[in-house]
Amino acid sequence: MCPNPSGMQASIVQGPSKRSAQRQWPAGGVNRAPYWVYSDPAIYAQEQQSIFQGAHWHYLGLEDEVPEPGCYKTTWIGEQSVLLTRGEDGSLNAMLNRCAHRGNMVCREPFGSAKKLYCVYHAWSYKLNGDLSHAAFQHGLRGEGGLPKDFELSEHGLRKLRVGSICGLVFATFSEQTEPLEDWLGEVAAGIRRVCAKPLKVLGYDTQRIHANWKAYHENPRDSYHANILHTFYGTFGLSRQSQESGMVLDAAGRHVYFYTKAGTEKESGDYKQTASTLRSHNDDLKLEDPSILKWRDEFGDGVSVQILTTYPSFVLHQIANSLATRQLIPRGPGQSDLVWTYFGFADDDEATTRARLTQTNLVGSAGMVSVEDAAVCEMMRRATGDGSAGESFIEMGGRGLESGGNSKLSERAIRNFWHIYRQDLGL
Amino acid sequence: MPPLHEQHFRAVENLIYEWARAVDEDRVEAICDLLAPDGRYTVASRFNHDRGLPLAIIDAHSAAQLRDRIKSMRIANIYEPHHYRHIISAVQITGEQQGSLVVRSNFLVVRTMDLDGDMKLYSTGQAQDLVDVSGTAPRFVQRKLVFDSRAVETLMVIPL
Repeated sequence: MCPNPSGMQASIVQGPSKRSAQRQWPAGGVNRAPYWVYSDPAIYAQEQQSIFQGAHWHYLGLEDEVPEPGCYKTTWIGEQSVLLTRGEDGSLNAMLNRCAHRGNMVCREPFGSAKKLYCVYHAWSYKLNGDLSHAAFQHGLRGEGGLPKDFELSEHGLRKLRVGSICGLVFATFSEQTEPLEDWLGEVAAGIRRVCAKPLKVLGYDTQRIHANWKAYHENPRDSYHANILHTFYGTFGLSRQSQESGMVLDAAGRHVYFYTKAGTEKESGDYKQTASTLRSHNDDLKLEDPSILKWRDEFGDGVSVQILTTYPSFVLHQIANSLATRQLIPRGPGQSDLVWTYFGFADDDEATTRARLTQTNLVGSAGMVSVEDAAVCEMMRRATGDGSAGESFIEMGGRGLESGGNSKLSERAIRNFWHIYRQDLGL
Repeated sequence: MPPLHEQHFRAVENLIYEWARAVDEDRVEAICDLLAPDGRYTVASRFNHDRGLPLAIIDAHSAAQLRDRIKSMRIANIYEPHHYRHIISAVQITGEQQGSLVVRSNFLVVRTMDLDGDMKLYSTGQAQDLVDVSGTAPRFVQRKLVFDSRAVETLMVIPL
């Protein structure tokens, strides 16, 4: 193995899969992403183990989605079906939605309410925390059949996950090694506390089915470089522009990031004017007949008009004007991912505020006038990169390293940090 | 069928077809003239609708807002070029409300991509409409398209 001139070493995978052991990450390290990483089925399988069942916290939902004891939500972490429940004692619980008996799906509905979790196949019945309370005919009938005498209910519960909650957002992890949720979030927790400071109330859902690898989407909210170029709406209407006062916060480990920008704080500069005049996103033809959709209220009192917060590997919290939502990214094979948008307001919102939030949903989500482009570019990248057998991303905006670019939005620093954590998790 | 419904059925059915044909033939702007100026056009999932959740993915509170969305589609948004084909059935006038006719119909939209010709069952659901027949031509006072899947394939930039 020869070290390359810049001092960075190419690493060879020592992973369990023979095929992925042949994969060599490009010499550039974090400022390159080889296209095979988006399509290789062996890599995808390894991600399920190392990332989705690894030492990270994965978003399950809002506390408001399981408001009362007995409430449950069926969701996913990676490809695993997972239940989030509210126990009789008010506790939040997470467990695999897979009967300990023969692997049947215990709950079939997206949302429900029950005193016990009951598997229809053989009537195995679990408490809301996943403990097995009853297996039908455990003791047989009239002296015949039944489970062995040494069968212990306590050994056959639903596999439990650790649960953590911050400001009404619920996360879970498969691993005992994962550090506590707020430690794992680090400095980025401040962005969650800023938005979710009061009890939340769900307004509704939108699932966007993206025919691209989950990582192509995950990079997108970490990519502040594209926001004011691709999304014409932002630039033309001043909701977010590169020339505005803005910033970026990364946690110390570089796993997570949030960007914020303040509408109305544009600073004049020669190079901005020159670039802006050629950008699509400053389109003077785009005048709205009814601009009321863009009216926003500075509800957090700090002038920030847009905050996009991303946690590794698959969660986003957005504040775009007065639209608030979480986005949960669920991988469905190497070539598809579902992005579940959960829109919310606050329990004490008045009708006018709720109406404003609902109207601004026109800007985001599957039919978002600002954001449709994100799913489009993910799919187009997939089409253009094909089987991923050749080529790599060039990720040097702001510089080449994990610190390069500082806190500038004209930087791909947060993307380089993603690949750094990813390579650690996959051993690539 | 009640006489009032009988009298207006053809015109109501034609209005629904007119909307769909405008979209399919890439004359999308024309649908704004089929909606009353203060009419409401909403696209929402059954998932939200059945749970009484107010969220819609498209919610235009006037023909002007719908025009704005179509303008954005034409000159701002980026997406792979495609077309819709509406297949509509089961048009029924089911009642009256505030002087307008309550109408239900089924839709299926097949989306065809321009580049590779790929076809997909893109969306299916029920149109829940309020049609005003008091003027020279029927118009939608309210058009709510409730699509059956909780998921949208890639994106929705052409209105349904």
